[in-house]
Amino acid sequence: MADEGEPREAARGRPPRPCPVCGRPAEPRFRPFCSARCRQVDLGRWLAGDYAIPGEAGERDEETPP
Amino acid sequence: MSDAAARAEMSPEPTGGADYNSASITVLRGLEAVRKRPGMYIGDTDDGSGLHHMAFEIIDNAVDEAQAGYATRVEVTLNGDGSVTVRDDGRGIPVDLHEEEGVSAAEVVLTRLHAGGKFNQNSYKVSGGLHGVGAAVVNALSEWMEVRIWRGGLEHVIRFEHGETVRPLTVVGPSDAPGGTEVTFKPSPATFSRTEYDFAVLERRLRELAFLNSGLAIALRDDRHVPAQEVFFQFKGGLVAFVEWLDQGKEPLFRPPISVQSRGQDGIRVELAMWWNNSPREVTLCFTNNIPQRDGGTHQAGFRQALTRVVARYAEELARKEKVELSGEDMREGLTCVLSVKVPDPKFSSQTKDKLVSSEVQPVVQAAVSDALSHWFETHPKEARLVLDQVVLAAAARKAAQLAREKVGRKNALDISTLPGKLADCQEKDPARSELFIVEGDSAGGSAKQGRDRRFQAILPLKGKILNVERARVDKMLSSAEIGTLITALGTGIGPGDPAKGGFDISKLRYHRIVIMTDADVDGSHIRTLLLTFFFRQMPQLIERGHLYIAQPPLFRAKRGGEERYLKDERALEDFLLEKALGGAVLRLADGQELAGEALRAEADRLREIARRVRRLAAGVPAEIVEQAAVAGALTADPERATAAAARLVERLNALAPPAERHWNALPADGGGLQLWRQVRGVTERHALGPAALRSAEARWLDERRELLERHFGAPALLTLDGTEAAVHGPVAALERILAQGRKGLTIQRFKGLGEMNPEQLWKTTLDPAARTLLKVRIEDVEDAEQIFSTLMGDVVEPRRDFIVSNALRVANLDV
Repeated sequence: MADEGEPREAARGRPPRPCPVCGRPAEPRFRPFCSARCRQVDLGRWLAGDYAIPGEAGERDEETPP
Repeated sequence: MSDAAARAEMSPEPTGGADYNSASITVLRGLEAVRKRPGMYIGDTDDGSGLHHMAFEIIDNAVDEAQAGYATRVEVTLNGDGSVTVRDDGRGIPVDLHEEEGVSAAEVVLTRLHAGGKFNQNSYKVSGGLHGVGAAVVNALSEWMEVRIWRGGLEHVIRFEHGETVRPLTVVGPSDAPGGTEVTFKPSPATFSRTEYDFAVLERRLRELAFLNSGLAIALRDDRHVPAQEVFFQFKGGLVAFVEWLDQGKEPLFRPPISVQSRGQDGIRVELAMWWNNSPREVTLCFTNNIPQRDGGTHQAGFRQALTRVVARYAEELARKEKVELSGEDMREGLTCVLSVKVPDPKFSSQTKDKLVSSEVQPVVQAAVSDALSHWFETHPKEARLVLDQVVLAAAARKAAQLAREKVGRKNALDISTLPGKLADCQEKDPARSELFIVEGDSAGGSAKQGRDRRFQAILPLKGKILNVERARVDKMLSSAEIGTLITALGTGIGPGDPAKGGFDISKLRYHRIVIMTDADVDGSHIRTLLLTFFFRQMPQLIERGHLYIAQPPLFRAKRGGEERYLKDERALEDFLLEKALGGAVLRLADGQELAGEALRAEADRLREIARRVRRLAAGVPAEIVEQAAVAGALTADPERATAAAARLVERLNALAPPAERHWNALPADGGGLQLWRQVRGVTERHALGPAALRSAEARWLDERRELLERHFGAPALLTLDGTEAAVHGPVAALERILAQGRKGLTIQRFKGLGEMNPEQLWKTTLDPAARTLLKVRIEDVEDAEQIFSTLMGDVVEPRRDFIVSNALRVANLDV
């Protein structure tokens, strides 16, 4: 991204979460990823339609409690 | 050093030491051409590269003496008068008479072009610098040069001006020094337009030489300014230390670096150290006989072939799983490598030696690296896995860039013709005044298109694709086409890289308000989670700059006669019902307290708090029983109180039951639970509150209020609604009664989806800026959503559904 070299927000004292792609600790300027590479891999998965939320048969009739 | 003019021997063991005398010096050509066309010999005389090359030539000779095993230390000094001194503790240039030339061998080496020991294959197997050229060239281009030689217990001096001998080799006295050469020269201003040396340039080259020649001590001193500046290099670790130094501050995938050392065929020696870090850059430095090749060459080609073959062999399976094809480039992402070869008589593509072209080097390097790398992969499975994972990710990232080019319209974002057909755009062209509603489903999209204000509101219908993975499961996803459409509609491009070539650029955003509008059901919540996660991961600036919102369509419509109210959720509906029911109502509690008006409204809110917790506890047990347990003080894990409380609960439950069904029994269970049962007409009814339930936050909250509950509902309270009085036995019962009263005369419609609203209703409740409520999405909120998503994508199957249902997004409330 255009300004991905800039830290986006100061760390807020939480331990870094694992990068959703490779599991290494996330890097604040690539949050929630560890690197530009992993962000790019994630983009590829969106664009390949690899992400699906697992559900169950029949759940579509239920409603979210407010 | 300039004795090195005669050596340049790079073979590991000292060779020809005893025979190193005037007979080893061959004269090839004269010096005149050098002064005439210096650029051909030393490089650019104006930009400083030739000037530094002067020093490097002399330094390389000293290092060669160390390589040959005779010197251990090289000292370089930048003197105040602009001259440079290079000293080594090697053998010293031969001083005996050169028979062919009739002068001292030292003079031959320093005044005759192409004179030196390196042309004699008997004494010298390997040489990169061909320093015989260099020393004489440096002399020719110096205002003056003075050389001191310690050899055979004597100190000798010889001096030149502009390459001409002004003082032939003379013994100036005895010396204790075991040997050595010191060359001092002052570059001629007649040749060089700039004669000022750059300390940093020399420092970099000397550090490099210290790494390439493990153990060699190199000192650099700058006496031109006060105080003098000094650096000292000595590295035991060789190329491994070089690689570690290059990657300071980076995170290597493993330690220590892979190290290859091989004495290959044809007298070619190969040395290499390498590892991977997690940056996207490749750094490979190639050297031939200590000279760097900026443009690589045959040694680099051999290395790359070996790397590609070995990694491809081990990564095959992983790559198949990730559905990517690996390229050599992927394998070199994050690679830091130093490759150093020692080659006899190397050939370069140019005078500056930027590229090695000796073809015999390639197979030797390839074989050496192949063997060593294969061995490393076999013996380091854990580290190898980290490397292979990274290589596969690099390939996946490359594939992603390719997909982005294919799926997202790449033309000018302002070009209307490239906008997706599904998008109903607005007339407004100023992004600051434009809104985009991302609407779930085609039917809702249709209503939204009709209901919107087309002057400034655009609609993009998106459909969550339903994926029947197995018969039992229905997965939801956004198809690649939907994601592509979304990115194109936003106009920002996507991914890293130049915005002109489609990289993300927030300034191209076509709408400053992007509103996600989904149904309030599980499907809608899935789509919303997908969208929020996508924005958070791939366009975080959109959220940081406050462009992302969530629409708040109402969940209920309450209607009486011609009057109608839209209520966004259960809570709003209850508020509305309470307001309606409580006018004129009176609640008389067991302790005699009478509540009406404001006080009763406040009490109703407390009842809701209680009811909320009772319902949560009542997962497997009827709410009436939990409610009575709370009043009886039986929601306790404390064994001291449990038995008495159980007895009170039985009393209360029996009082509420018809006379024939008053058979309740209750006992605290072992381990802190509560068992309840009764037999009615031969059928046993059993309930149990487990220890976990009794220790839950809800149970403890209710138990802390047991005295208050006992005071208020220990005996039946009396509730008067609309003039009718009735006994109520607990807080939940009281609340239910009030809400039931509120519902009287009302038609309450629950919208199952946006599609059930007509365009006018949608405008009135959700689209109209004057009436709607939008929630602004903050980055912290999305972090949570993202984690929900990560959990859903993970391997944990069981808690998934609960997670997504109970974690309906918490977003900051902001009226716009």
